[in-house]
Amino acid sequence: MQGNLAAVGRALAFVLLALALCGVLFQLAGYSAIEMFESIADGAFLNPNAWQGSLRWAMPLFITACGVVVSFRSGYFNVGAQGQFYMGAIGATFVVDFLNGYPAALVVPLAFVAAIACGALWVAWPGYLRVASGADEVITTLMGNFIASLILIYVTGGILKDPSGTGQVMASRPVAEAYRISSETGLSPAIVGITVAVGVLTWVLVNRTAFGVLSGLAGRNPTMVVWQGARMSQLGLGAFALSGALAGLAGVIEVLGPNGRLVSGFLPTHGFTAILIALVAGLSVAGAAVVSLFFGGLAAASLYLPVLAGLPAAAIDIINAAIALFITARAAPGLKWLLPRRRAVGGG
Amino acid sequence: MIAEPPSALRCTSISVRYGDFAALTDVSVAFAPRLIHAVVGQNGAGKTTFARVVAGIVRPVSGTLEIDDREIAAGHVNRSRAAGVELVHQSFALPPSFTVAETMEFGARRGRPIFTRRELEARWARHLENLGVQARLSDRIRDLPVESQQGVEIARALVADARLLILDEPTAVLSPKGVETLFQRLRALKASGVTILLVLHKIREVLAVADTVTVLRGGRLVKGPVAASSVNARELSAAIIGAEAEQSLTVRDEEALIGSDLPAEARTVVASKGSAPAILVADRISTRPDPEGPALGEVSLAIASGEIVGVAGVEGNGQRTLVRALTGLAEIESGRIRLNDEDVAGFSTGERRARGLRVIPFERNSEGLSLLSSLWENWSARQLLQGSPLKFISPARFRAECDSALKRWDVRYSTTLQPAGALSGGNAQKLILAREVDRDAKLVIAAQPTRGLDVGATAFVWRSLRDATARGCGVLLISSDLDELFDISDRLVVMLSGRIAAEFEPPFHLSEVGAAMTGAR
Repeated sequence: MQGNLAAVGRALAFVLLALALCGVLFQLAGYSAIEMFESIADGAFLNPNAWQGSLRWAMPLFITACGVVVSFRSGYFNVGAQGQFYMGAIGATFVVDFLNGYPAALVVPLAFVAAIACGALWVAWPGYLRVASGADEVITTLMGNFIASLILIYVTGGILKDPSGTGQVMASRPVAEAYRISSETGLSPAIVGITVAVGVLTWVLVNRTAFGVLSGLAGRNPTMVVWQGARMSQLGLGAFALSGALAGLAGVIEVLGPNGRLVSGFLPTHGFTAILIALVAGLSVAGAAVVSLFFGGLAAASLYLPVLAGLPAAAIDIINAAIALFITARAAPGLKWLLPRRRAVGGG
Repeated sequence: MIAEPPSALRCTSISVRYGDFAALTDVSVAFAPRLIHAVVGQNGAGKTTFARVVAGIVRPVSGTLEIDDREIAAGHVNRSRAAGVELVHQSFALPPSFTVAETMEFGARRGRPIFTRRELEARWARHLENLGVQARLSDRIRDLPVESQQGVEIARALVADARLLILDEPTAVLSPKGVETLFQRLRALKASGVTILLVLHKIREVLAVADTVTVLRGGRLVKGPVAASSVNARELSAAIIGAEAEQSLTVRDEEALIGSDLPAEARTVVASKGSAPAILVADRISTRPDPEGPALGEVSLAIASGEIVGVAGVEGNGQRTLVRALTGLAEIESGRIRLNDEDVAGFSTGERRARGLRVIPFERNSEGLSLLSSLWENWSARQLLQGSPLKFISPARFRAECDSALKRWDVRYSTTLQPAGALSGGNAQKLILAREVDRDAKLVIAAQPTRGLDVGATAFVWRSLRDATARGCGVLLISSDLDELFDISDRLVVMLSGRIAAEFEPPFHLSEVGAAMTGAR
């Protein structure tokens, strides 16, 4: 546990390095690095209302990141969180759109079930291809993201399209007020409760069940657990399905919560930020909670940047990219221990 | 200053450290030219390190190296090769996808950058012929039997006028017949003027081929070089094992450990255990060939309660497939497997393990342990796989149980949270034993359980397997060490090309078993 936190601390040090690099870049580009950092700190944490904004972004990210932690720990690199997140949001929107008018006690739980099922199903086919034929899940889940994005454009421009919309932004009809689980602020007891529950359950799964220990062993050496009698297909499909389900859950929270409707191309980096969070957190659930707050803060600050530092909001994307770069460089040897299964099993 | 006799290799005060571990300490030794010199010692005595220092692969922290009385810079493979030193590695280091001709060209120092395959083959045909190596130049290394691979490896080492040829445990993978061929080849090389340094741990083999013997123990030079004709097996074994360790070993185990050649007939014949109930009955099991090994052809095998059945054979003759088929990791095409009178042929590995099957896999570090995971996770894996994966566990309880189990098995470690990769080979194997040889074990399949272990750990493994049989366990022991098999097996089968070629009851005779291994019977 302490080892985990130390690892998170080291990872955060790399994040600070990335921020410093961005500061230099922005300074050279003629912006004020000081102002930029001030506005980030202000927008993320220091402003009295900043915490609300940070939390609003952090919670769905944390839920998706929990799923990423489970699948990466098992040695399955599901990088399709973005697509599973979209499919979850689409599934939920179908339920609220077609059952519009039915009581919320029926529709809302159904929307959650649909979102979780859609997220899990969207990773089921890469998962099946992986365990059945060894197709590389990094490729298939990544491709799944593009397909999901296009499905999102298709449904928001077609069957779910809001007829009263302007035509500039393709979106579904707004979710009926009765079905919303929070206002635009994205903060409500329901969302906080779900997030805490997901965090606790994932932590228990990873640290206090046979599955957690076995998937950790399998992630580092699948050959060994196979000789011990584990069925990698079961462990793998379980990990895949759970990661997809949690990304789908984040999707329904965004639709029924702060977004209030399904917008084409919304939150295009959600899944990738969640992967970044899981990696910075060293694949620990507790670490992911802390790191999610940090990245949630960055997301919240992106709204302040144009106002305070005169920087485009895209500056946050640059910062995220720099962090990803630094974390990848740091994790390169760390990722190696996750990868031995890709080597051929040597004959004795 | 007194003129010293010429030497092919002279080492002065060589010391090598790996981290905190002193692999060689202050070794000073000189070898006369045009003789076969044996360097002997237990596993971990520093033999391989010594060979690597001479070959320039390992750089010593101190000491000097002279080849043919000229000092060379230690720690540079190119300098050592330029001085005529060539090393034949313990585990072959030939590129599997190369043809024999390409391998030769790769080892050569001169050579044109552009050539055709035909040219290459023409160039090296004579070379192989002179050395008596039977291998087609267009064959790929991976398709060659181990004995030809070793011939090719030696031929590769000799492409560039080697004057000092070092062979690191060359007999480990060979059948008794192959060993004899190798020794003939070495004698021929000696006659042609090559000095040979032979790293070995079997006394019998040393006395058969070497002119001088040098003994290393714990990284120090304890004896030699002395003329092989002036020492006997008993003196050598005392020097190799050391007086202290010797006391804790039975005479029989000690002989098996160092391969000293006492008449096999003199060994005690174990009482027949034929009346005990059968734990495992494999009835004509056949498999398809797969990337991990050849197919099994109608293998039948029975193991009774309390019995150790040894499997001998040149490596790669289906031993691995046999273990995988019995474990449930390789699908069987036909035949039946009964474990404790229950047909388990259709059962998964997990289901067979739940019925008392235990496996000590071939590859300790990849199949046996997850080196980056903690000791307690490695130790608990088998138990965690019983029952639902979603059942709750208490890591603290597992850690405590692991702690007491590892203490019982005499594993040296600091905390159960340390990664398994931090254990030494012997301790890692004890961790696997602690997991696999438990009270509920009915059949233990032990595949190469002592490979790479030192004397103490090897004796420990043997004792553990014997203790298991005393509790009624059956043991299937797969080993390429005939001395080990002869020592602890109650019965012996020999595998050849995926089939059981012969079965032996004690007393075992090296010549008979060896003949069966090569199909010479």
